[in-house]
Amino acid sequence: MTGALLADDASGHALLGAEVRSWLDAHWDPALERSAWLGLVVEARWAVPRWPAEWFGRDMSDAQARVIAAEFTRAGAYGTGQDRTNLWANTALSFGTDAFKREFVPALLRQEISMCLLYSEPGAGSDLAGIRTNAVRDGDQWVINGQKVWTSGAATADFGMLVARTDWDVPKHRGISFFFCPMKQPGVEVRPLRQITDEAHFNEVFLTNAVIPGVNLLGEENDGWRVLQTALAYERSAMGENARGPRRAASNGPVAASHEVDLIELARSAGCLDDPVIRQDIARATALRSLNALNTARAKAELAQGTSSPIMSLGKLAMSRILHEGARVQTAILGAATLLDGPDHPQADDANFLTLNAYFTSIGGGTDQIQRNIIGERVLGLAKEPEIDREIPFREVRRA
Amino acid sequence: MTALTVDESTALRASVHALLADRAGEAQVRSAMESDTGYDAALWAELARLGIVGLIIAEEHGGSGAGPVELELVMEEAGAALLCGPLLASSVIAAAILAAVDDSAAAARYLPRIADGSSIATAALTGLTGTWTPEGIAVLGAPPTEPGGQWVLNGTASFVLHAQNADLLLVAAHGPDGISLFAVDVPQTSVVITPLPTFDRTLRLAQVEFAGAAASPIGEAGAGWSAVERALDVARVALAGEQAGGAKQSLDITVDYAKVRVQFGRPIGSFQAIKHMAADLLLESESAISAARNAARALAEGAPDAGAAISLAAFACADAFTTVAATSIQMHGGIAFTWEHPAHLYLRRARADAQLLGTPAFYRERYLQQLGA
Repeated sequence: MTGALLADDASGHALLGAEVRSWLDAHWDPALERSAWLGLVVEARWAVPRWPAEWFGRDMSDAQARVIAAEFTRAGAYGTGQDRTNLWANTALSFGTDAFKREFVPALLRQEISMCLLYSEPGAGSDLAGIRTNAVRDGDQWVINGQKVWTSGAATADFGMLVARTDWDVPKHRGISFFFCPMKQPGVEVRPLRQITDEAHFNEVFLTNAVIPGVNLLGEENDGWRVLQTALAYERSAMGENARGPRRAASNGPVAASHEVDLIELARSAGCLDDPVIRQDIARATALRSLNALNTARAKAELAQGTSSPIMSLGKLAMSRILHEGARVQTAILGAATLLDGPDHPQADDANFLTLNAYFTSIGGGTDQIQRNIIGERVLGLAKEPEIDREIPFREVRRA
Repeated sequence: MTALTVDESTALRASVHALLADRAGEAQVRSAMESDTGYDAALWAELARLGIVGLIIAEEHGGSGAGPVELELVMEEAGAALLCGPLLASSVIAAAILAAVDDSAAAARYLPRIADGSSIATAALTGLTGTWTPEGIAVLGAPPTEPGGQWVLNGTASFVLHAQNADLLLVAAHGPDGISLFAVDVPQTSVVITPLPTFDRTLRLAQVEFAGAAASPIGEAGAGWSAVERALDVARVALAGEQAGGAKQSLDITVDYAKVRVQFGRPIGSFQAIKHMAADLLLESESAISAARNAARALAEGAPDAGAAISLAAFACADAFTTVAATSIQMHGGIAFTWEHPAHLYLRRARADAQLLGTPAFYRERYLQQLGA
């Protein structure tokens, strides 16, 4: 039975909740290996309840999916709601051929396949449609040559979602195609990229006659820009609410705002909490965080009331400023101590690290300048800047 | 008063917006600011009839019985329109002081006339330094020298809002018991009210000299400043709302202009130099709205962090309005350097509002202390 047969109302939700509960009672075991558990969830059609029944789903509504998610949360289980959270599976489902979906989607939902993103290039950052990685059809496969950058997880990935140019004689947005590129092959070389923080979370990926089976083309040939827009939509917005704290506090993931550096305590321990200039700085920096939290809360409340809110798009820009300003004040508090670095000087190490890592938010995921264009054009309704390369064949576009 | 529903607050806001759109447009604001009194008496009467003049005054005293949340919404509209008049002086600060002092006789005597707009009251709280703290008070109160005699005030208060239009002054004065509050009816010969030339032409300020002025004590002797502080919290929320509304309107005017002003064959808003300024200002003005509404909510609920929320709103809204109004002139270019263009009226109001109840730096320091530092 697929749950869509249950009514989407209070009594239907109660029946659904009971069904999920009893299934979890019978199957949930925290000791199970991750992919084994996810296999059970996929098989029982709890992984992607909003998806169609023919593709592992139940044709359910948001409300029904939330009922299922609530039961999973209550039990401490995971694996449902992937119809919203699994970037890879959603992209595959939306644009893959049936043969491709049969091969990849179950494995993506079981999270057995490790993935990475092959979008940006050294010459195509903010202007992503200016990519120059080349894809040429050769029989029933594609041959790829080019270079990608800012790829996290490239060394361990099985596949990468790749955008590459398949037609150089049309304007730039119209000659791009989207692929699932196998990473473990001789034509793919991964080199860690040393960041300004002295960490290496990202890689450069060199593609030299790399080969992709024809079935791994997602969407139509030369329609990859549209596929990319859908895929990007799954990724955006998270950067405005959370940002990473000091490097010692978290290994890699973002930390919630509550884990932020306490500037008041830092100044107290540094003996400068009575300095009026420092006090003004701390008040300013602390206020930026509070204001962003208030904006986010107001945006959510307005959306819940059905009013559209311009504020949602402001979060990432606000977070850039919060991080840069917070690190600046940390540095002002510590003064000459920030000449030193490393684990023996943890306060200075935090300030130094956060000063540099602030650029992760103000450049990554679209620079502050691109973000301001988006706010100006989509929120305030200002006209776009003319793009001189938009309507000419890509081959004729000026390059550095 | 219980909190308004979404529909009710939308309706309140819409009615104020409609009235001000009709009666407080730019031409009417300019006419009011150039008049002797600085406001349109007929519009004031209409605001009284709508219940806006008595908005936060209790229903038992003829007011609307609304709270900080509704006040903040109304002030956003007043700020957007650059409304001229004694709303902050009489309807907010004076009314809030009379509500905060524990003196039912004074409340019953003064509040109904304030609510219906027939009396204009204002508070004389600061001396020549314009400091909104007990140290700023420069008026001395002397107790009666004989049974049945009167209290007498001597000294100077300055930066008094709309004193030249008022018939009732609420005065904070040092006395034998500490700081106490007094009601002084004006005009009287021993009170000299001298209008001050203001940078914000839509504002009216005066210096008030008390030379043996007869005064009636209100509230508990020596408890004057705590009542003033409670009233000032209401005033800070109101002013934050005015600033947030002013910032939003100033930005809207600027963005509208950037869409129609054409240079180099295209609207100036298509240039990233202008577009990026507008995006930054949207963050400022939306943050101001969030801060002002949060302060109003916290004060209405009596939240433990209300003090910090109010301080945050005080400096965030002041800085946002000043930044938006100042940048607006630069974004417009030459047209906004003319007297006829409204952009400078917003900058004048923004700069005045940023000093009126204390500076942004003062409120940043206060905020930090309220956070425990």
